[in-house]
Amino acid sequence: APQTLSTREANLFRTVIRYYEDKQYKRGLKAAEQILKRNPKHGDTMSMKALILNAQGKTDEAFALAKDALTIDMKSYICWHVYGILYRTNKNFDEAIKAYKFALKLEPDSHQIQRDLAVLQVQMRDYQGYIQSRFVMLKARPQLRQNWTALAIAYHLDGNLQQAENILNTYEKSVTTTPLRTDFENSEALLYKNTIIAETGDIERALEHLESSCKNCLDRLAVMELRARYLAQLGRKEDAAKAYRALLERNSDHPDYYKCLVDALGIPTDDEAALKAVYDEYAAKNPRCDAAKRLPLDFLSGDLFRTAAKAYLTLMFDKGVPSTFANLKHLYSDAFKKESLPVLAEEYLKEHSGSSGAEGQANGDSSKGEGAALYFLAQHYNYYLSRDLSRATEFVEKAIELDSKNVDFHMTKARIFKHQGEVAKAAEAMDHARLLDTRDRYINSKAAKYQLRNDENEKALTTMGLFTRAETVGGPLADLTDMQCMWFLTEDGEAWQRRGDLGLALKRYHTVFNIFDIWQEDQFDFHSFSLRKGQIRAYIDLVRWEDQLREHPFYFRAALDAVNLYLSMHDKPQNGANGVEGSHANGDDAAERKKAAKKARKEAQKAEREAAEKAAKQDPNKGGAQKSKDAEDAKKKDDDPNGAKLAATTDPLGDAMKFLWHLLQFSPKNIEGQIAGFEVFIRRNKYLLALRCLKAALAINKGHPKVLEQATRLRKALGGDLGSLAPKVKEVIESELASVPGA
Amino acid sequence: MDIRLLRSSDIPLIQHANIENLPENYFLKYYLYHALSWPQLSFVAVDVSRPPKTPYDYPKIVGYVLAKMEEEPADGVQHGHITSLSVMRTHRRLGIAEKLMRQSQLAMVETFGGRYVSLHVRVSNKAAIHLYRDTLGFMTEKTESKYYADGEDAYCMKLDLDFIRDQIREEEEDDDAGEEKKKKKKN
Amino acid sequence: TSGDVEDEVQPTAKSAEDRKAAAALSKLDARGDDEGPQTGEVDQEAVKNAMNSLGGGADKKETKAVKVDAADVKLLVEEFELPKSKATELLKAHDGDAVKAMKAYLQPDF
Repeated sequence: APQTLSTREANLFRTVIRYYEDKQYKRGLKAAEQILKRNPKHGDTMSMKALILNAQGKTDEAFALAKDALTIDMKSYICWHVYGILYRTNKNFDEAIKAYKFALKLEPDSHQIQRDLAVLQVQMRDYQGYIQSRFVMLKARPQLRQNWTALAIAYHLDGNLQQAENILNTYEKSVTTTPLRTDFENSEALLYKNTIIAETGDIERALEHLESSCKNCLDRLAVMELRARYLAQLGRKEDAAKAYRALLERNSDHPDYYKCLVDALGIPTDDEAALKAVYDEYAAKNPRCDAAKRLPLDFLSGDLFRTAAKAYLTLMFDKGVPSTFANLKHLYSDAFKKESLPVLAEEYLKEHSGSSGAEGQANGDSSKGEGAALYFLAQHYNYYLSRDLSRATEFVEKAIELDSKNVDFHMTKARIFKHQGEVAKAAEAMDHARLLDTRDRYINSKAAKYQLRNDENEKALTTMGLFTRAETVGGPLADLTDMQCMWFLTEDGEAWQRRGDLGLALKRYHTVFNIFDIWQEDQFDFHSFSLRKGQIRAYIDLVRWEDQLREHPFYFRAALDAVNLYLSMHDKPQNGANGVEGSHANGDDAAERKKAAKKARKEAQKAEREAAEKAAKQDPNKGGAQKSKDAEDAKKKDDDPNGAKLAATTDPLGDAMKFLWHLLQFSPKNIEGQIAGFEVFIRRNKYLLALRCLKAALAINKGHPKVLEQATRLRKALGGDLGSLAPKVKEVIESELASVPGA
Repeated sequence: MDIRLLRSSDIPLIQHANIENLPENYFLKYYLYHALSWPQLSFVAVDVSRPPKTPYDYPKIVGYVLAKMEEEPADGVQHGHITSLSVMRTHRRLGIAEKLMRQSQLAMVETFGGRYVSLHVRVSNKAAIHLYRDTLGFMTEKTESKYYADGEDAYCMKLDLDFIRDQIREEEEDDDAGEEKKKKKKN
Repeated sequence: TSGDVEDEVQPTAKSAEDRKAAAALSKLDARGDDEGPQTGEVDQEAVKNAMNSLGGGADKKETKAVKVDAADVKLLVEEFELPKSKATELLKAHDGDAVKAMKAYLQPDF
C-alpha cells in the first residue's frame, strides 16, 4: 500500500515540486531522496524524482523509476501525470495522452492536467478530443475570453464552422461592457469570427459583419484587404475598385492589388493600352515603385511591349539593378519577348558604350549603365532558354574588363563555367568572387556551394566557417546544424555521396529529416501561447501550414537523395567500414576514396576538438556554467557522428521507408518521388504499393520513359509471382493493371 | 517583386535568406515567435518572376523585415523593434529594404500604437546605416559595445513614429469631412 | 546545500542578440497563462445559460455500422502497411469490401 507522509515530509514534498519548477534539480533531488530514505515506497516522491532525473537527461532511469512508482501507487494521479510528462518530453505523444487521461480520471478537476492533455490533443490533431477538453476548461472558467476562443478554434479546426461561430457569438452576447478600442484581444477575435463567416461561403454576411463590427479593428491592413476581397467576390465592382485603389495607396508593390483593380474596372484583357494606363498612373505617383513599371511587360505585346521594355531596361541599367535579368526571365516563355530583350540591351549598349563606363568608373560604380547591360546579356546567354555559353563568356569578360573587382560579374562567370560542366573552374571562379568582398556572407555562401558541387567538402566547411560562430562547440558544422542550414546539409550530403562516403551522406540526410521533426514540434508551445497573445488568425495559419510541413522542397530533396542512396546500397551491398564503396570496378580507386574519407573524418574530429578547446578557454571564469553546459551537451551527444552505424544497415530498403512515406504523402504530385517509391516497393515485393506509385506517376506524366519502363518491370515481376498472391490481391492487380499502358 | 505580409509558410525560406546573407541567425521557432506574436509587423519581398520548378514550390524570399513590439519597454513607451532586415545581394538597388521598413512602421502605429521604432546595426555596415539614417530618418541613440557575437559594436538607432500617427489622423479627418459632405448632399 | 548553486546556472548566451532570442523563447511555454485577469465584464447568468445551450462538447460523428472481416483488415495492413485503424476505416468506407477498398486506395488522390 502507498505510504503517507508526515507533515514535515509533506512540506518537503512541496519543496521538491518547487525546486523542480525552478529548475533547481540538484536540490530537488536531494530533498526527494531525504523523503525516500524514510518512505522508500512513496509513489509520488518516486515520480517527482523520476521527473527530475528526466530533466537531467537520465531518461531511461527516469522511466524505470516512474514505472516502479506506478506499480506501487496505481491510484495516484501524480504518478500518472508524471508518466505522461515523461512521455511528452520524450516526444511519444500518443502514450502521453493515454497517461494524462488516466491521471484525469483520478483527478477530474485538475486544471493543469486538463490543459496538458488539451495541448497534446491539438498537437496530435485529435480534434474531437480537443473539443471535449476545451469544453471542460471553458466550463471551469467561462469568465475568460480565451477559453471561449479556444473552443471555437477547436470546432473550427475540426471543420465545424457553424459551431465555431456560435461559440464566439455566445461569448459576445454575455459581455456586458463595451470593449475599448485598443482592446487587442477583442479586435482580433472579431476579425477571427469574420474569417470564419467568410469560410462558410456567405460573403454577403461576412461583408456586413466586417462593416458593422470590425470597422475599428486594429489590424487595418486586414480590414482593408478583406473588405476589398468581399466586394470583388460580390461583384460590387465600383466599390471593389475603390477599395483596391486604397490598398495600392498603401503598398504599390503588391501585384495582386493591380490584378484585382483591373478586374474590378472591367477592362478587357486584350485592351493593352487601357490596362497599361492603370499601371502608368501608379508609376507616375510612386517614382520608386517597381511593380507598376514592370508588370505591364507581362501582358503587353508587339510594339507596345518593345517601347515599355526599352524604358524599363534603360531605367534599370541606369540604376544598375542587379536583379534585372532575374526579374524578366519569366517572359522568355514568349518567343517574341525572348528575342526582343537582348536586342534592346544591345541597343542600350551601343548608345552608352564608353561614355557611361567612364562616368561609372569616375563614380567608382561601373555596375551601372554599360556594365549593367553587359551583365544582363551575359545572364541572357547563360539562361537555359536562350543559352549560348560562348557568347555568355564574351559578355561577362567584357563586363569584367570594365570592372575587374565586380562581385556580381565574377559570380556570373562562375555560373557559366558550371553550365559548361566545368565544376572545378566554377568553384575557383566563385571563390575568386568571394575574395573580392570577404565581408559579404552571400558571396561566401555561394563560394561554399560551388566547392561542394566540386566535391570539396572540407574546403567548403572552412569557407562557411568564416561566418559561423567561433564559439560553437563542434565547429562550423555544429553551428550550421544548430541554425538549421538546410541547403548546406543537403549539398554536403550529396557531395559525400558522390565521393562514396555513404555514412556521412546518410548522416546529413538524417539531420535534415530531424530538423523537420524539430519544426513540427516547434508549434507545440504556440497552442497555448497564441491564446494568450490573442493572435488567432496567425495561429490557424500556423496549424494549417504545419499540417503540410513536409511538402517543402527542402524536405523533398534530402529525402529523395536518401531513398535513392538506400536503393543503391540495396543493389550493391557495401563492405568495409562507414559504407565507403568497396565493390567499385576499380579497387585502387575505392581504396583511395576510403583513405580520403578517413582523412576527412580525422580532420573533422580535429576541428571539433580544437573548437571545444577554444570554447573552454574562452571564459575561464564561467566554469560553473560551462559544467552545466557540458551536461547539456552530454545529453545531446551524438553516438554516430560519421554515420557509420547508418551505413552499416542490413536493411536499407526498410530504412528508406522512413523518408519515403512522407514523400508520397506530402508531395504525391512530384513524379520523382513516385518513381523512387516504385523502385523501393518492387524490391520489397510490395506489388500493390508499387502499382500505386506507378498509377500516380502515370497520372502526372503518362509519357515519362522511366515510368513506362517500370510498367514493363512490374508486369514481368508479377508474371512469375502472381500465383502466390492472395486471391483478392490478385483480382485487384489484374483489373487495375489493365488500364496501365504497355500491356 | 511582391511586397507583402509574412506568413508562417514563408519562414523556411526567410531563414534561408537570413543565413545566406547575415551572420546573426535564428532557429525557425524564433521566427515563429515573431509571426505569431505580431503577425502584422513582418513583411517579405517575393520574387514572383521565378518559373516554378516543382508542384510544391514556395515563394522565393529575396528580402524580409522581421519586426516586433518591445514586450516590456524599459521606458514604458509602446514601441517597435526591428529584429532582422535583409535583402539578397542579387536584389539590391530596388528600394526593397525601404519599402519593407515603411510597411512595418505603419503597422506598428496602426495596430499597436507604437510611438517609435528602434534597431541595432553593426557600426561597420555603411549601407544599412545610410538607409536607416538618410532614407528613413533614424537617429543614432547610442553605441552598444560588443553587441554582436564576434565582438563588433552596434549603433542603437531610433525613429520617432508620431509623423505616421499625424498622417493617419489627417486622413481620418479628411474621410470624416468627406462623409459629412456626402450626408449634407443627400439631405 | 548552497555549494552547488552555481551548477544550476543556465549557460549564458554569448551576445546580447542571443540573450534576447533565448529570453523570448523561454517565455513561450510560461505556465499559469490562462489564469490571468479576465478582460471584459461577463454576465454570469448569460454565460450559464449559454453553457447549457452548448450541450456536452464534441458531437459524436456518425459512424456507419459496417461489418469488417478481420482477415481483410489484416490483408490491407499487410499490403499497404497502414495502421490497423486506417485499414479498418478504409474497409468501412467501402462497405467492408476488400477488393473495392484496395482499388480505391490505388487511385491517385490528387
